Amino acid sequence: MSAGSDQVGQGKGLWHRLFEPKDLKSMAPVPAFLTYSALVLWSLVVLFPLYWVAVTSFKLPVQVNDGPDYLPFIDFAPSSHAWTYILVDVGADTFRPYINSLIVASVSTALAVLFGAMAAYALVRIRYPVKLATIAAFVGLVAVIITTTVVAGVPWPISIALGLAFFIFFVGAFDRRFKRAVGNNDILFWIISNRILPPVVAVLPIYIMFQQLRLLDTHLALIVTYVAVNLPIVVWLMRDFFAAIPIDLEESAEIDGASKMRIFWTIVLPLTRPGLVATALLVFILAWNEYLLALFLSTADAQTMPLLIAAQNATRGPQWWTMSVLIILMIAPVVTLAVLLQKQIARGILTGAVKG
Amino acid sequence: MKTRQCGPVLGVAAFAAGLALGMPAADAQKQFDGVTVNVMTFTGPQIAEPLQRRAPEFTAATGATINVITVPFSDLYTKLLTDWASGTNSIDAAVFAPQWGVDYINPGYIQDLTDWVAADEALQVDDIAPFFREFSQRYNGRTYMLTLDGDFQMVYYRTDVLAELGMDPPETWDDYLAIAKAAHGKDMNGDGSADYGSCIAKKRNAQSYWMITSIAASFLQSKGTSQGAFFDTADMKPLVNNDGFGAALDVYSATTAVAPPDEINLDVGDTRSLFTTGRCALTLDWGDIGTLAIDPENSKVIDKVGATMLPGSRQVFDRESGALTECNADLCPHAVNGVNRAPFAAFGGWSGGVNAKADDKVKEAAYAFFSYMSQPAQSNQDVTVGITGFNPYRISQFENLQTWIDAGMSQQAAENYLGAIQDSLNSPNMVLDLRIPQNQAYQQVALDTAIARFLAGEIDKAQTMATIEEAWTELNEDNGVEDQLAIYRSTLGAQ
Amino acid sequence: MTGMSSPALTWSEWLDRQAPRVMLMPALLILLAFSIFPLVASAYLALSRFRLEPGGYSLRFVGLRNFRKLLFGSEQYHFLGTFGSLSILDWILLGMVAGSIGWWLVATIRSRKWSVIGLIGRLITAIVLIGLTWIAVSVIGTRGGPGSLVTTLFYVLVGVALQFAIGLGLALLCARPIRGRTFFRVVFFIPLMVTPVGIAYTFRMLADMSKGPFSPLWQGLGLGDFAWAADAWSARWVVLIGETWQWVPFMFIVLLAALENQPRDQLEAAKMDGADGWQIFRDITWPAIAPAAATIVLIRLIEAFKIIDLPNVLTNGGPGIATESMTLHAFIAWRTQQLGQSAAVGYLLLFVAVVTCVSFFNFIVQRTRAHEREAA
Repeated sequence: MSAGSDQVGQGKGLWHRLFEPKDLKSMAPVPAFLTYSALVLWSLVVLFPLYWVAVTSFKLPVQVNDGPDYLPFIDFAPSSHAWTYILVDVGADTFRPYINSLIVASVSTALAVLFGAMAAYALVRIRYPVKLATIAAFVGLVAVIITTTVVAGVPWPISIALGLAFFIFFVGAFDRRFKRAVGNNDILFWIISNRILPPVVAVLPIYIMFQQLRLLDTHLALIVTYVAVNLPIVVWLMRDFFAAIPIDLEESAEIDGASKMRIFWTIVLPLTRPGLVATALLVFILAWNEYLLALFLSTADAQTMPLLIAAQNATRGPQWWTMSVLIILMIAPVVTLAVLLQKQIARGILTGAVKG
Repeated sequence: MKTRQCGPVLGVAAFAAGLALGMPAADAQKQFDGVTVNVMTFTGPQIAEPLQRRAPEFTAATGATINVITVPFSDLYTKLLTDWASGTNSIDAAVFAPQWGVDYINPGYIQDLTDWVAADEALQVDDIAPFFREFSQRYNGRTYMLTLDGDFQMVYYRTDVLAELGMDPPETWDDYLAIAKAAHGKDMNGDGSADYGSCIAKKRNAQSYWMITSIAASFLQSKGTSQGAFFDTADMKPLVNNDGFGAALDVYSATTAVAPPDEINLDVGDTRSLFTTGRCALTLDWGDIGTLAIDPENSKVIDKVGATMLPGSRQVFDRESGALTECNADLCPHAVNGVNRAPFAAFGGWSGGVNAKADDKVKEAAYAFFSYMSQPAQSNQDVTVGITGFNPYRISQFENLQTWIDAGMSQQAAENYLGAIQDSLNSPNMVLDLRIPQNQAYQQVALDTAIARFLAGEIDKAQTMATIEEAWTELNEDNGVEDQLAIYRSTLGAQ
Repeated sequence: MTGMSSPALTWSEWLDRQAPRVMLMPALLILLAFSIFPLVASAYLALSRFRLEPGGYSLRFVGLRNFRKLLFGSEQYHFLGTFGSLSILDWILLGMVAGSIGWWLVATIRSRKWSVIGLIGRLITAIVLIGLTWIAVSVIGTRGGPGSLVTTLFYVLVGVALQFAIGLGLALLCARPIRGRTFFRVVFFIPLMVTPVGIAYTFRMLADMSKGPFSPLWQGLGLGDFAWAADAWSARWVVLIGETWQWVPFMFIVLLAALENQPRDQLEAAKMDGADGWQIFRDITWPAIAPAAATIVLIRLIEAFKIIDLPNVLTNGGPGIATESMTLHAFIAWRTQQLGQSAAVGYLLLFVAVVTCVSFFNFIVQRTRAHEREAA
């Protein structure tokens, strides 16, 4: 990284001042210059596309179509026509999905992080010897359900009940006699593998599931789906944060008589707050931006924002100006959230350091 | 079905009579009080705006609540199909492309409207241009959809550029190429940079398969709409591996040489913005350019745009001899000056259809709403509003130039634009878009992919034609050649 | 009233005893509910042909026809690609790959630490790897044309590597004692916040050659007649640039969190001892962040296989089929009612992705964790 820092002693003068830090908490001028250049450069790479979106939202169609205009008031006269259209003319149609998106993304994030963090912690600290026989019994259960519904034409609630009965009976009666088991790592891998199947392939079956439950076009359907879709990410990200906690803290608490749940809530979670916040933010973003599942599971009442953005490309080609407005509207709350949580993350690190 | 329709027919007849007499009195008990109709179409002002604008008027007159639900354009087809095929039936009616109709009609998802239309005087069905009335709205001889918009492709040109070059609007594709070559590289919008001869949307998976069909149409169909331009109506043999289609491919690739360098990645939105900002001499498009070009927010070519029916060819593919043959009275009965022209009704124009599984009262109300939208009093105004995507489709819409002049066209431009539309609509040789089951797989996948690969240089002309033929033949076999042939013939009204 | 405390006690006791189950069950049940039916249903779809028919639709069982079509039939060019002839260079490359994989297998057997199941796993990995390399080399070679499989592999391998490198670099820079750290952190995170469809359209605006912001630069460089969208590889790279812009933050945020969790005392001790940057990175930082790095790469591998929005919006898969990913391939088939074809592509994607990810998990992720345990 700081390439010159091992050249100690060659010249104590200029060289030293340029490349050697004064103390451990600061940087010498040359590495500092290079560091800031790189950071500023990437900031430009990140911000320029967004700047372009922002100026586009103030352009008239003819200004967009007639080649690049860079600076409002200098290159072109800004117009608020796109903003008026989105916020006033079709304001109700913008507002409703916006609220839907907020509800669906925040509730599903809370649930996914809760369930995911619990599972991740459990998988780090507790061994789960799931017997191969149990898995076999489970496959049997699925087979029973499929045969009874498809071949025998039994209604699906009954066949699920039948299958479950078979499963519990089998596990209760025979499971103890078998030894071969899978480990936590296999469970972990199975969890993440749920994300491999492309949504295009899974969306119709999921649609049918919610149709059978009469939950189409409800927030609940989207929330449950997003929890399921994002759980693997939470489990996997949190796993590493939990694994990094020194185990002695928990062990001493256990000796003091605290329960596993208590340890998890009062000791482990606060310690991993930076990771938790980062993960929550990430999952919120994934849920906030999801398109295909939202398209199928919602019709009118539960439509979310990404549909609105994609919808700006209709028979007349992309409506860049309105699309830009919507993109900005969609980034705004997430950026705010990130700025707010940023302090949380920093504080979490600080407290962690103090305690550690 | 027949007996169940009796009620609605009477109801609609009574309702239509009510509308014809002027609106029913407000205090009278309204016909559809308490009925809610969920109408789905795509997001954006083009179709949803007039529906939403007219819905309160309709509610005031009839008591029915119209709930306009919108989804992104690209997913409207699948969304409707999923809702209806899975039996969810949360959508009572929809405004969609009639080309998709076959996939909704064949499985019985949408309602046969024939009797309702027959009983509906206020609709003035005879005022609807024959092509839409006889072909677009119908399937297998029955009416399933109500046209709300007239869609077909035309060639647009820059009147000022043509005048400068001393050239006439193109009559044949050779003329088109000649104009494009002469204009290419000239500065046509005064910004000092070279502009382009021709801009055609050739992006994959967008509109390019309609564009190639627009070019191929006049080489392949010469004996009227019933002859068809996609398959031989005798044996369902694809009309893609022959000199006619080959000639179209030649034109298609020749236009690339006088086009923007990234034409291969332009969709119709891009070509429209290029054309309306004055960067192209010629383009191939639907009726929308006419209204876009007079919109000061969109256009730098106000009153510099002319439209003409799709150019044609002096030679057509003779299905008997299998060769490209010079036009004669027998081969090209509709040719003018020896040029066979075949305007292509790409996409077909947005139309309303009603879910067959909805409640009777809801179905009636939905039909009544579409009828209301289509009646001249409403639609003759809506087609001149630039923001809507509704293009003219009624004969009466050509008679009153004043609405167009009010909308911002000059007298001359309005005459030219409406003239081109009228010429196309009156053509007995209009080409009906492909409307057999799985047409999306035929066109949007097989044809489109092959054309895109041809343009990208992955395969040559002969391979392209062979590839399309192979894919279409395979699709025919998958779906049953006889079934597809019967349906193809019935959509064309072929005997 | 006294009765209240007793059930409460047993309740918490019960909860404590059941903690292992209570903690894992919700996640497990939700995932099971969402994985089994879609998996089974789409497996059936992949083996059948969907048709709309009077009265609804029908699913006719057609066996492996959909797969045959993709692998050997009329869709082969689309999925695998058009096979060209191999040059000597290609053969050498192929030989090197096969040789090193073979050597890896032999080394495993020689190490005497192998089990039957482990060996079978390695064999599968080896066969699939060599097969994919062979396909990639032959379709990229002269007169060939990559299909959606090889295009997807390009996006996945090159894309994830790029994103990891940039993300790690930025995280290391941000972990230094710099001013404005909060600012950079939030800014670098932004691309991930934009909805993928929005990013795709934004990049379409940026990459426009006649009205995009870079068009004057482009013209100035004398490249006005060159269209990135008309050339297969430049189009693929433009897609990849958008993808990288979008996903660097994901790498960045997790790696930064990992960097900040690394043991500070060790770091400071090392600095005191006068260790240089590279030594600190190799001996302290990298071992500390390796598990997180491996995890994040695995998650990105999985997500990258599903790339769809960028090619769909930027080029719609063109020119030709050059930028079409497997998910886009499945999506186009699905949108045109070829549900069986679509599910078959989905299953092939599942196969390739699972083999890739299992190999990565077993041979790389596990190893970083073994290290972690030793260190602890």
